[in-house]
Amino acid sequence: MESRRRLRGARVVYTLLVLLFLGMVNLVSALSVTVNDLECVYEYVLYEGDTVSGNFVVVDHDIFWGSDHPGIDFTVTSPAGNVVNSLKGTSGDKFEFKAPSSGMYKFCFHNPHSTPESVSFYIHVGHIPTEHDLAKDEHLDPINVKIAELRESLESVTAEQKYLKAREARHRHTNESTRKRVIFYTVGEYIMLALASSLQVVYIRRLFGKTVAYNRV
Amino acid sequence: MGTRIQRQSLFLILVAGFLLLVRVESIRFDLESSHTKCISEDIKTNAMTVGKYHIVNLNEGQPLPDSHKVTVRVRSAYGNNYHYSDHVSEGMFSFHAPEEGDYRACFFASDHKPSTTMTVDFEWKSGVIAKDWTNVAKKGSIELMEIELKKMFDTVQSIHDEMFYLREREGEMQLLNRSTNSKMGWLSFLSLVVCLSVAGLQLWHLKSFFEKKKLI
Repeated sequence: MESRRRLRGARVVYTLLVLLFLGMVNLVSALSVTVNDLECVYEYVLYEGDTVSGNFVVVDHDIFWGSDHPGIDFTVTSPAGNVVNSLKGTSGDKFEFKAPSSGMYKFCFHNPHSTPESVSFYIHVGHIPTEHDLAKDEHLDPINVKIAELRESLESVTAEQKYLKAREARHRHTNESTRKRVIFYTVGEYIMLALASSLQVVYIRRLFGKTVAYNRV
Repeated sequence: MGTRIQRQSLFLILVAGFLLLVRVESIRFDLESSHTKCISEDIKTNAMTVGKYHIVNLNEGQPLPDSHKVTVRVRSAYGNNYHYSDHVSEGMFSFHAPEEGDYRACFFASDHKPSTTMTVDFEWKSGVIAKDWTNVAKKGSIELMEIELKKMFDTVQSIHDEMFYLREREGEMQLLNRSTNSKMGWLSFLSLVVCLSVAGLQLWHLKSFFEKKKLI
């Protein structure tokens, strides 16, 4: 009886710890940074084989005169030093990869042009206990795997929403700048037209004002 | 048998406790002397937000050098100040966001003669993930599985709210586009009117000018 109670106590402790573990490995950051030349963000991946997913969108605030920004470069470097993922010249994209090793991963945004751009990014590291973990620890219920899978699916929905929100913000900036540009260019066109026609009138007056006086019929 | 299980569980508690301490739920970035780096996050009205920052000690065992201090300022989109710390090496802030919008947390590294680079570890959570689940667990003796499911329920609620927000924003954008479209139509028509009226004015003015000069 005594030993059975102790066994039950140990089992409760095991599940408690394991569930705490599962609850903790949600690394999430949805932030935005201004990129002048190179901005790097570090994030720690606990387990090898974790799926690192995320997205980033370049939200440029000051597109008034010029065309759309040509895009920024994005690189992911593993703790061993080799480049895991790389995207060039994009204005926003999603990415996903399986971490080949655990450690500190570096996510870098590089802006090849001189105008500062602000990038809003979201990185998520998700861990699902595998068969190997199940085999190692007999107190780990298969239901924990299902709960982790469920949580990962919800996180992917949240990630997609954040991506859509960032893209919508970018689209809104483009639309507002288009509207301002339309009004500005049209009013400018009126003024230029009035100015050109008044200059024409002044020129013709001057032309006929002096020469007629000399060549009076 | 009983004592061996007890020792095993104790070991596991120690391991998990150690891993709890080592676990990092944050991002890191480098900050050079007399440089400012700002991170902004979009927070909804009445959302709880918690931020923690500290300067990472790259030399284990030695205390942080005095030059590694940072000034932190958290401002809302309208310019209101929510947190300000001067020359600290770590700190935290938490508040209920009264206004919706982009909140900026700016880190300013003080000037130092040989330009040093320090690594700042920053964690910023808002909304559903900022909720302190350990308190909820303590209040009732609820099983951990139930806590997980409660967390997921909260996440689903926030997904639902976010969908409403996205839909509302899309409605606003459609209104904006429609108004731009109608404005463009009116402005083109107005440009035609302006062109014709300017041409008419020119003709009338020159005709009266030449008639005055007795050329016509």
